Amino acid sequence: MTFRTKLLVVSSLTVAGAIALVTGVVSVASRRAFERVDQERRRVLLDQFERELEAQGHELDTKIQRVAASPELLRIAIEAERRDADFSPFNDDARLLAEAQALDFLDILRADGVIISSAHYPAKFGYKNDWLLSPGDPAMSKSFLTRVALREGAAVALASERAVSAGENRVYAGGGKRIDSAFLAGLGLAPGVRPLLWLPSGEVLDAKGPVGDAWKLSPLIDQLKRSGKECSAVIRWQADAASAESIVALPLERGGSLLGALLVATSLREQIGLERSILWTGVAVAAGGILLGVLLGWWTTARVTRPVAELVSGVQAVAGGDWSARVRVSSHDEIGALAEAFNRMTEQLIEQRDRTVQAERVAAWRELARRLAHELKNPLFPLQITIENLQRAREQHPDQFDEVFRESTGALLAEVRNLKTIIGQFSDFAKMPKPEMESVDLNALIQEVLKLFDAQFHTPGGPSIQPVLELAASGAVIEADPLQLTRALRNLILNAMDAMPKGGTLRIRTSRVDGMARIEVEDSGQGLSDEECARLFTPYYTTKQHGTGLGLAIVQSVVSDHRGRISVRGEQGRGAVFTIDLPVGGAA
Amino acid sequence: MRLTRSQFVAVSSCLFIACAPAAAARRPRYGGRLRIETSAVVTSLDPAVAQPGSFDLATKRRILGSVFETLVRLDEKGEPQPWLAASWTHDPTRHRWLFAARPDVTLHNGAKWDPPGGVVAVDDRRPIEDILRGLANPQNAIVVRGPDGVLLGTGPFRIAEWRPGQALRLEANDSYWGGRPYLDAVEIRMGRAKRDQSIDLDAGRADVVEVAASEVRRVQQRGGRVVLSAPVEVLALVLDAAPPGLERALLLAVDRAAIYNVLLQRTGVISGALLPNWLTGYSFVFPANMDIARARELAGKQAVTFQYDQQDPMIRSIAERVALNAGEAGVTLRPVAGGPAAVRLVHARLSTAEPGPALVEIAAAFDGQAPRVSSADPAQLYAAESGVIASRRIIPLFHLPAAVQIGANVRGWPSRNAGIDRWPLDEAWVEDRAR
Repeated sequence: MTFRTKLLVVSSLTVAGAIALVTGVVSVASRRAFERVDQERRRVLLDQFERELEAQGHELDTKIQRVAASPELLRIAIEAERRDADFSPFNDDARLLAEAQALDFLDILRADGVIISSAHYPAKFGYKNDWLLSPGDPAMSKSFLTRVALREGAAVALASERAVSAGENRVYAGGGKRIDSAFLAGLGLAPGVRPLLWLPSGEVLDAKGPVGDAWKLSPLIDQLKRSGKECSAVIRWQADAASAESIVALPLERGGSLLGALLVATSLREQIGLERSILWTGVAVAAGGILLGVLLGWWTTARVTRPVAELVSGVQAVAGGDWSARVRVSSHDEIGALAEAFNRMTEQLIEQRDRTVQAERVAAWRELARRLAHELKNPLFPLQITIENLQRAREQHPDQFDEVFRESTGALLAEVRNLKTIIGQFSDFAKMPKPEMESVDLNALIQEVLKLFDAQFHTPGGPSIQPVLELAASGAVIEADPLQLTRALRNLILNAMDAMPKGGTLRIRTSRVDGMARIEVEDSGQGLSDEECARLFTPYYTTKQHGTGLGLAIVQSVVSDHRGRISVRGEQGRGAVFTIDLPVGGAA
Repeated sequence: MRLTRSQFVAVSSCLFIACAPAAAARRPRYGGRLRIETSAVVTSLDPAVAQPGSFDLATKRRILGSVFETLVRLDEKGEPQPWLAASWTHDPTRHRWLFAARPDVTLHNGAKWDPPGGVVAVDDRRPIEDILRGLANPQNAIVVRGPDGVLLGTGPFRIAEWRPGQALRLEANDSYWGGRPYLDAVEIRMGRAKRDQSIDLDAGRADVVEVAASEVRRVQQRGGRVVLSAPVEVLALVLDAAPPGLERALLLAVDRAAIYNVLLQRTGVISGALLPNWLTGYSFVFPANMDIARARELAGKQAVTFQYDQQDPMIRSIAERVALNAGEAGVTLRPVAGGPAAVRLVHARLSTAEPGPALVEIAAAFDGQAPRVSSADPAQLYAAESGVIASRRIIPLFHLPAAVQIGANVRGWPSRNAGIDRWPLDEAWVEDRAR
């Protein structure tokens, strides 16, 4: 990542972070505001619930009073005064009275609490009532909440009870109104708030009837059962988060037992809508801020990083070999000082390079002069001795002069040829021709070159060299100049033979490595040190007594002209291996 | 105070004149129509065609009893009496019986009923008592198919209009051999709920309606005229797929006395038998006592499905009480609206006074399979009934009478219904409503 990109990212993140922070703060503030409104709504609902209970309780008291004053109850009370009271004819009275007074529940009880007649559960006559107050309970004067067991399940009811007497024995009439959907519908609440009623049967009602997916309330109800205190939860009814409601469960109790629960559900639709609006506004502002930040950052960072980028370009140019690269100094700050330092550095580098080239050139000329002097001095000394012998023989032994002349001229000619050879080598190295490419079968070429050395490998009395060929089965055809390649191979073989004065094994291998044709020439001679390996291809460098130091330099020149690579590895006493890698397609 | 002769004559004349209209009101009157409503649904009037449903079958037989007559009829005591057959005799082997046809009997189309030789031959090896009871069965009524395919009978009423499953209109048979009935017509509406029937009676839209046994006492307390039959309905629990041993637990758990006293308002009879005592004489042998502690030991905790007719208020209240009792014993009877259930509360009706066929009918009504009852001998009948109760896992609870409420203008309807197989339409008459 570039410095400029980093600057851009940092600036963009800063803008986005700031906007996210603002969005979060606004969201939290709005949520708290909604919660305050919810609490207010909930309090209003609870007040309304209690008022409705009180109002319906008054109405219920009146109805039960009417039941207690009815002729049917009087007849039952009179029957209760008889020794062998028979209540069976009154079994249907509770139903008729309940219908007359529009009561959901009505039980007529004996003094011992046994049901004489039941409106909502006619079959329960003779059983003990379990949802009204005990006879003589002081709370009987006003309505109360209770749970009524039904044939299937149970209901929560607002109940009231009265005693009737026609003598000594009392009978009781206890009736109730079901706390159900109709009751909830009568509460009349603010929009967004709905009361729910959880019944012990597991049923959950709202003002319209049974609530679907009531099982989602189970964790809340379980919590209420455990704690017995008000508790709350957020219930999401559908996949859409806007369907969520914040529900507070309030226990409806009597005598410490849980009769049911009033659930106040507040829709979170508005809150979630506002939060979404804030969120999306935040996202939009953040996106705009980031875009603006990117544009401004782009412009700003461009101004800040341009000198740095120029410096980088200059450094890259220098690294690529262009030492003349310069950087524009456009400021007087640290970046400007850096640019000036860079420019100074490149100038010094150029000066240093020129000095080095000059020094190397002088050294090369000295080496060339030394080598020339050395190479030319060797044949010159025999020439001088021979000529002086000729002069001495003419002066001192004229009779033997002809013989001496013949021998001396032979020697002179040999030395002159030697001089020409030396000069020719220097000339060849100076004038290496451009390779002329054609398809060359490396294996065939190597075999032909080796034939040239057959006689030398097996010279009687000379060192015995055993050539070993390990040629690749295929892929040895490359584009190359056969003459130059022959020359390079010949130099390598000569070099190997020189390295094995006492004989040895010469291995020549061909192979295909990484798409290149590889030739390896290995000898079992005296080997090379690391330093020799490093300098071996330097012109005029030789480890031999009479070498020109140009053989391997020529080899390297040929390989280089073919866009190939040459390397050498070896250890003292363990021979050396020269490796040539040539492109199959030849020099481009 | 002493009256002179003239004074006595004057007072007597005034009294005669004053009492004359009242006496006339009690005299049978010819004319009028009787409107009967029933909850049963009869789909065919052909005696040979089977009628599913014991209540529907009984109603069909009661209708057909006034249209198609049998050679023999059972009297109030259940004894066979000559009817279309004036007398009967047998061959020496007593395997062939010859019933001499009543001579002055005509069919509904006016043709004379004249069996070949004036006799009806019956080949039957059973004792004559069994043969006579069989011949008294409305299923064996004399039915003649007319040339146009119409079924012709000899009874006091003939079919005037027939809408299967809905309504039937009978008209008086003027040439009835026993004398023309008082009523001109009888109209029967079928498939009416008992509550609707009661409303129709109060509103003057019906003259005879059915009354549930549980309502008999209340109707009577309101001054209604209720005619009860002998106990001909059976209420029982049938355990179809309940765990073993449950029938014993339920038998001991159900508080029959409380149901009888309160829900049935002391109408009917508590019974542990399938057939009523008046039919067999031994129903008290079957146990019907409650022992809730023992029931609890036998039942353990279990829950099974429970099916009953939830549309019938009497059945529903009894079923709920049974479920309460069972709950006390630890058995939860969970009501189901339809489909198979482990326990059913079944209500069936006898349509014959023959014990053997009655047992077959009741058993078939309870589980759809008719047992084989070979003889009317009490010992064999008891064995058969015990076998049915044990093998079919039936817990009989009550025997209930069939009850009808009679309108105030209906006369001649016996206060105790004579037979279980016909309405006494030939004896009934209606007062003039205009009066």
